[in-house]
Amino acid sequence: MTTKAPKRRGLTEGQAAVVLLLPFLTVYAAFLIYPFFRGIWISLHDWNLLAVAFNPDAREFVGLENYVRTLWGRNIEWSSFTSPVIQTVGVLGAGLAFWAWRRGRMSKATALAIGLVGLVFFIMPGFHPGEDGRWYDRRFWPTVGNTIIFVAWAVPGVTVTALILAAALDGDTRAKSILRTLFFLSQVLSVTVVTLIWQIMFSPRQGLIANVTEALGGTPIVWLTDEQFAMAAIVIATIWWSLGIAMILFLAGIQDISKDIYEAASIDGATGLKAFWCITLPNLKRTITVVIVLQIILHFQVFGQAHLMTQGGPNDSTQVLVRYIYQTAFRDSELGEASAMAVFLFVIMGAFSIIQFVVGRETD
Amino acid sequence: MVNRSYYWLILALSIPAFLWLIPTIWMISLSFQPNDVLARTTSSTFFGLIPLPFTAENYAALFSFGQTPRWFLNSAIVAGGMTLGVLFVSTTAGYALARLTFPFKTPILLLCLIGLMVPEQAVFIPLYTMFADLGWHNSYHALILPRMAVPIGVFLMMQFFKAIPKDIEEAARIDGVGWLQIFWYVMLPLARPAMMTLAILTFLYAWNDYLWPLVSAREPERFTITLGLASIQSNFAQSEGLGRVMASGVIASLPVVALFLMFQRYVVQAMTAGGSKG
Amino acid sequence: MKHVLLGAAVAAMSVTGANAQEISLGRFFGACEDAGTDTTTSVGEACIIQSIINAADAELDGVTVNTLPTDWGNYYDQMIAAYAGGEPPDVHVMHRHRIPQFASLGALANLTDDLAGVGVDVTDWAPAALDAVSYDGAIYGVPMDFHANLWHVNMEIMEAAGLMNDDGSPILPTSPEEVLAHAAMVEEATGQDYLAADFAQFPLGVRLVLALIWQQGSNVFDGDTATIDTPEARAAIAAVTQLFDAGYADPQLNYADSQQAFLNGEAAILVNGTWVVDFYDTEASNPEVALSSYYVADFPTLFDQGATWADSHMWAIPASLPRDNPEAYQAALQVLAFINEHNIDWARTGHMAVRNSVLGSEAYASLPHRDEYTGTADIARDTPASVHYGAIQDVLNRELQAIWLTGKPVEEALADAELEVQDLLDD
Repeated sequence: MTTKAPKRRGLTEGQAAVVLLLPFLTVYAAFLIYPFFRGIWISLHDWNLLAVAFNPDAREFVGLENYVRTLWGRNIEWSSFTSPVIQTVGVLGAGLAFWAWRRGRMSKATALAIGLVGLVFFIMPGFHPGEDGRWYDRRFWPTVGNTIIFVAWAVPGVTVTALILAAALDGDTRAKSILRTLFFLSQVLSVTVVTLIWQIMFSPRQGLIANVTEALGGTPIVWLTDEQFAMAAIVIATIWWSLGIAMILFLAGIQDISKDIYEAASIDGATGLKAFWCITLPNLKRTITVVIVLQIILHFQVFGQAHLMTQGGPNDSTQVLVRYIYQTAFRDSELGEASAMAVFLFVIMGAFSIIQFVVGRETD
Repeated sequence: MVNRSYYWLILALSIPAFLWLIPTIWMISLSFQPNDVLARTTSSTFFGLIPLPFTAENYAALFSFGQTPRWFLNSAIVAGGMTLGVLFVSTTAGYALARLTFPFKTPILLLCLIGLMVPEQAVFIPLYTMFADLGWHNSYHALILPRMAVPIGVFLMMQFFKAIPKDIEEAARIDGVGWLQIFWYVMLPLARPAMMTLAILTFLYAWNDYLWPLVSAREPERFTITLGLASIQSNFAQSEGLGRVMASGVIASLPVVALFLMFQRYVVQAMTAGGSKG
Repeated sequence: MKHVLLGAAVAAMSVTGANAQEISLGRFFGACEDAGTDTTTSVGEACIIQSIINAADAELDGVTVNTLPTDWGNYYDQMIAAYAGGEPPDVHVMHRHRIPQFASLGALANLTDDLAGVGVDVTDWAPAALDAVSYDGAIYGVPMDFHANLWHVNMEIMEAAGLMNDDGSPILPTSPEEVLAHAAMVEEATGQDYLAADFAQFPLGVRLVLALIWQQGSNVFDGDTATIDTPEARAAIAAVTQLFDAGYADPQLNYADSQQAFLNGEAAILVNGTWVVDFYDTEASNPEVALSSYYVADFPTLFDQGATWADSHMWAIPASLPRDNPEAYQAALQVLAFINEHNIDWARTGHMAVRNSVLGSEAYASLPHRDEYTGTADIARDTPASVHYGAIQDVLNRELQAIWLTGKPVEEALADAELEVQDLLDD
């Protein structure tokens, strides 16, 4: 610039930045950063909520003991045959990822992610109490297992349904738009409304499903207290609830695919299902991955469905991690242990968030 | 291309769409049936869905006694407050991070990024003790403040501001306009669509939040409607006042459904911008 | 003379001019919004207690009561959170088995010296009631009732099965073998289930088993030692599971469903508590409800001695109240006294009263079905006191539900339960 600039009034860039950033950074530091570190600090103490409320000195620094008490046990051994199915799947998964990467069919980041997950599935289930040994917290690892099972059912369920619907409902017509809205509507409801609806749907006495079953001459299933069906019940409710966002993401991804490809393919006679399989799917790979990772993060944090529909039962078969953390903190008053579990949850979520970030940044 | 197969497709898809809606329709149906009938049976309906003994008594009861109107008000205040708060901190910080140069920018950006990884469940316990020490529980600010610290809003606004061409700003700077004025008079008006999206998403999130209000709001007078609804779901209410509970559920959902139907565009935009572009 | 009058006037003004003291009151029992203030006509736990509270609000000068109802399942979570947050309600109901946990921390106000001042006569309390609210020699609450598990009986079904005495009372089993035999008779005569109970949700099934364990002279823990994996426990569980195996009872019903089954005439007996007597009585008189001939029986003795699970509701005040707000404390005490006054009204629910003057009164004796279960007061028992009562009950609930809902082997479940309860006791 050669002309003389008029005198700048007001703040410099740096000062303006401070003014603009201050509101967020204050709230951020106070309500996210500080609590995060405080949570870690709490996890290093034996901290009974009620006792400390009456006597602030009642908490005791115990270092990593809460972690040991929650995650570990006495006489724990490792072998690769403890849960042969899961461990084999883990090894195979890691191996497959490596092979796919070497063959150029999979990006490095995705392969690394799957490989890591596979390794985890190989190593973790191998731990078991040896003779005369026991886990210190008998409910923790089964709870983590239940959460993983829930995620393993919910995520594919939502992803596949959303993908099919997105493919079918892609288009600008009024009818399709209305249909899309109808399917998305359940997403805006709160978890308490969703659990209310599905609790009643599943009730063996008052439920719609029971009414229909009886009208057809059958005996109603007691969904929420039957060990075989309780998990299915909350998964079904979750799929019904979480369809919306996944569907929108897939729609966006589909709309990104250039229409020319489809036209070219239809000249060669590939339309409908074939087009979906050969064109849509391959081009959606990155979107599918993003959706899957997002869903994993979302459903790992499940709380409302397990708390309100099944109360973690029957026999802890639907007890999930966040609910266990909540109960440990507010029912048993053990803040230290609950915080340790929360840190554990953060580590898992953090890992998946990193995976999502890396994958999301990739270009096809 | 509209042809025969298109109509078949629509027809074929309408059936699952209807099935998908049945749970919601059934809730609405139950809310219009009298409680004493419901205590005995839920199948006194026409075609299983349309309520046969039809009554609006449950809705009348909701508004004459009970806490539902109070809960509704609380939700409105909390959701509204949170939306305004989030808009404020997100637009300011988003603009600064997108456009301004200043020392320590990269570390600060990274700091905000890391916050995205922290799930609410990892901080709700320490937040609880913090607020307990301050005596802030059971209040509106306890329900609003923690959520303002979630950086996703900042990132949404940052992405948006980054996409605006620089010429507008440069022109304003040449004219000697201060940075804050640029922000207020130039950038914000441009950011309206993104702000709408952020506002709606935040409102939805605030309205439907369950875990934190469960932990923080102790007195039923302070419950949000989501929390209040959960508290009356307990079995005793279910066996005796099923219609009333369902009516509460319907009332709890109306605002968010209405909001969504009116502003679908913005919600869709947000997902699109956030998801596929990374 | 003038001075006296002036002094009196000032005193009068300061009393009437004072603002009404607002008391927050926490309770469960369910919600009842239109309870009114007539304590003699309300029905059901929720409405009766709310009518008493409303009446207190209306009749106590200078005191207003603000009720904070919470659902039963989450009550103690919220209570703990409230105490931890420094804001417990000024008055709240509690179960007596929770006293060790709260009183040992100094959370509850010591009421021993202050009750007489508001007109509460502790000598009028039945000895067991006084015992229930005492900890370490001091009184921490005002008892409101004893509640115990009963057998609610559908006499129509029993009659059809030939299990009715001449005086209209049911013939109940006196051993586990007779339970099975009677159940078969009911099934054969009417096709209905013999027994219904909430085995799947709240710890009602636990209390049933506990009663059977006590009937054999055993217990689940003794001081610091857990004694769950015992022959008595196995026998108790077997007495229950034999009904499931033979199809005479459904373990999958939760509280609402089991209650509904009983009211619909689908089960001869419902094991539930004293708190629903007047509710079922009202339902029985409703022609649209299948249940019509309703009898309330003591929990039968199936083993050596009589026993049934019982607990007690009481009202307590947080220790912080007298310390921080003596006026509110006085008002809170008045509310407690009012509730104590209306013990007869609360007893209309079916619960057993705690005041001798009420227990011996005509009004009490003439409450519906009251004479049918007079024996319950003698056989009522509770688990030993423990700071971890809630957690222990949870463990038992989980393991027992594992047995009858998921088929977990009894030995394994009992062994696991013993391990976990021992962990809790060791803590």
